[in-house]
Amino acid sequence: MTRTKNVLIGAMFVALLTLLGVGQSMFGQKAAAQGTAGGTIEVPRFEVDPTFPKPMPNGWYQGMSIGVSADAQDHIWIVHRPDSVSAKEAAADEKTGACCSKAPPILEFDQQGNLLRHWGGQDGPGYQWPSSNHGITVDYKGNVWIGGNGAGDGHVLKFTQDGKFIMQVGKKGVTADSNSTEHFYMVAKLFVDAKTNEVYVSDGYGNKRVAVIDADTGAFKRYWGAYGNKPDDMNMGRYNPADPPITQFRNPVHCAELSNDNLVYVCDRVNDRIQVFTREGKFIKEAWVSKTTLGDGSAWDIVFSKDPQQRYIYLADGHDEKVWILDRQSLDILTSFGDGGRQPGQFYAVHSLAVDSKGNLYTTETYEGRRLQRFLLKGTKKVPKGGDQGTVWPTQ
Amino acid sequence: MKRNHVLCGSASVLALLLAGATLVQNHALAQGGGAQAPRLDVDPLWPKPLGNHQILGSVTGVTVDAQNHIWVTHRGLDSLGGNEKGPTLTPPASQCCFAAPAVLEFDQPGNLIGHWGGPGQGYQWPQAPSGIAVDSKGNVWVAGAGVDPPPAGRGRGGPGGGRAEAPAAPVPGDAHVLKFSRTGQFLLQIGAPGKMEGPDSQTTLNRPTMVAYDAAANEIYVADGGNRRVVVFDADKGTYKRHWGAYGEKPGDAPSGPYDPAAPPPRQFRDVSCVKISRDNQVYVCDRRNDRIQVFQKDGKFVKEAIVSRTTLGDGAVWDVAFSSDPQQQFVFVADGHDKKVLILQRGTLQQVGSFGDGGRLPGRFYAVGSVSVDAQGNVYTGENLEGKRVQKWLRR
Repeated sequence: MTRTKNVLIGAMFVALLTLLGVGQSMFGQKAAAQGTAGGTIEVPRFEVDPTFPKPMPNGWYQGMSIGVSADAQDHIWIVHRPDSVSAKEAAADEKTGACCSKAPPILEFDQQGNLLRHWGGQDGPGYQWPSSNHGITVDYKGNVWIGGNGAGDGHVLKFTQDGKFIMQVGKKGVTADSNSTEHFYMVAKLFVDAKTNEVYVSDGYGNKRVAVIDADTGAFKRYWGAYGNKPDDMNMGRYNPADPPITQFRNPVHCAELSNDNLVYVCDRVNDRIQVFTREGKFIKEAWVSKTTLGDGSAWDIVFSKDPQQRYIYLADGHDEKVWILDRQSLDILTSFGDGGRQPGQFYAVHSLAVDSKGNLYTTETYEGRRLQRFLLKGTKKVPKGGDQGTVWPTQ
Repeated sequence: MKRNHVLCGSASVLALLLAGATLVQNHALAQGGGAQAPRLDVDPLWPKPLGNHQILGSVTGVTVDAQNHIWVTHRGLDSLGGNEKGPTLTPPASQCCFAAPAVLEFDQPGNLIGHWGGPGQGYQWPQAPSGIAVDSKGNVWVAGAGVDPPPAGRGRGGPGGGRAEAPAAPVPGDAHVLKFSRTGQFLLQIGAPGKMEGPDSQTTLNRPTMVAYDAAANEIYVADGGNRRVVVFDADKGTYKRHWGAYGEKPGDAPSGPYDPAAPPPRQFRDVSCVKISRDNQVYVCDRRNDRIQVFQKDGKFVKEAIVSRTTLGDGAVWDVAFSSDPQQQFVFVADGHDKKVLILQRGTLQQVGSFGDGGRLPGRFYAVGSVSVDAQGNVYTGENLEGKRVQKWLRR
């Protein structure tokens, strides 16, 4: 019954999409996030695509996968940590077995899941490769930015898509200083604003701020901490959901994403919260997601839905092993999907998110998850508000 | 060879696109002359999600029973990393995950239809269960192989990664096998944890890894890994019948040293990680880190051996074997956990005729594939140990 209904809705949606054209709306007119009779709401419907990506050539093996980005051609770029691939996994490198070898850290896949370009991992003239890879962003000009969260990593790097070095901002071999205008400390992620050519730096695992730099010159422009406060490197101790919200970010500041209407959404990961700012760093509002989550926290990464209004926030929660869908305006939790496990559509430490031009969602998993997965946008579905969908498998 | 694979992959994707909804990939490929190796495609959507935020730990055993149900053992909570068992911590750290019960029974569509396992009256549940077997009377056997010392390596997120935990109190090492009804009612225990009296003992075991049941004699064959022998007991009374080591000789417990592919085959087993009995009454034994299979008569008389992937070092190439479903059992599937594939051998010659799988975490890929079993239709089931933590089904084409 339900399945038939879903299929019908899905089919109707596909037809609707075709009529409207992809540019119009990802969700149609009926997809408003307002509650309806019976306490159900209509939300984007995702299904995992278990055939994506294809296995890599050369017996290449993927480690902790800590960044994903979709470029203008809908190619999917990921960064992973080859040095996290164990000796048992990299038995060919170790010359103990036939499989496998550590893949290069930067990997580009096409929509069919084929591996295209691959590079990175070594220092080069004028730049230092991070001691621990973290975060990848392909900007509006097609350049590739990476952070780094290893000991001493105080810099971000900018490359062409072919891996040709363009710029390093900051340097290696530093320690925490959230008020530095020379370097960062353990950057989690970057976002480039096409309107101003500015880079929003999630800074990070060592510092406790959002920093903004010029995308061409690397010049520091501004920075701020939680609530727009001056950031403070004092140790805040462990997160306790019963305490009043602290006035600083905890490490790591794990994402800073700019919406089309010029709001900066920041992942304060282990504080389980999102804070929203103007581009200048003026605090607007905050919201908690799974406030009782301890340990690694719940607010790992954010990406917005592809409709021009960016009606939805997709939020990766690597500790609760799911993706939350929030209404971007109200920050209300609408639903969640995914669950723990190693099967398709399940997660271990879902870490990073990206959305392609068709609204499909890409996830990478760190720790022992070590996958890139694709979730196809299949129109909308009705769910109880706040309800969890579990593992979202294809319904045929 | 590589090109064939790619071509075949493209063809399958094309077929997939044409079919529209089929979700299969990763063919087994015949890699040489001789008999045509069976072709197998992974079913990425089997089994069904367990629900209730339950996940598998390191999978140590997979077997198919007479009803074509698939049984799985795994190491559960003790193999989960600190950050994948949040709700079990004090205070609870996250919503996911819980370890599924240690013994799981799935039907053919992949529904979980039975689950049990854990401590109970009259027996000692293993520190870490290993292989599982369902005998022809429907009883379920579980070997207790204990745990290896924790691996060194990058701490973040791996087993024991995440938040620091107090070291567990030492537990006597597993040295026993257990027999239950199919609903988990305890029936028999052979051996006892911590009680290890060497490779000639008639009452004790040492980290046994697997059992095989012989209906004709109502005997149970134990792969007694730590004692580097196969030992046979009466399946009802647990009384000792006989035992043997490599080549049918007396097992020894002198240290073997590291495996050397260039050296002559050692006269002792290095591991005994599986025991399986074919329809023609041959006993197949996995000598994991010696990369070899030895075949015996039921009385322990040595028949033949084969070295499989001789150059494989590390954890070795022969973790488990299973026979194809045809009446002659023409093929042997070998779970090669270190090379991350399942090898297909012609059973008569023990020559390799194909393989499937490769390294990785995507469907149809493997990390530490250590268990293999075949159902009545010839579909293959694989279990992944270490951080693989999956069961996958491979459809016979």
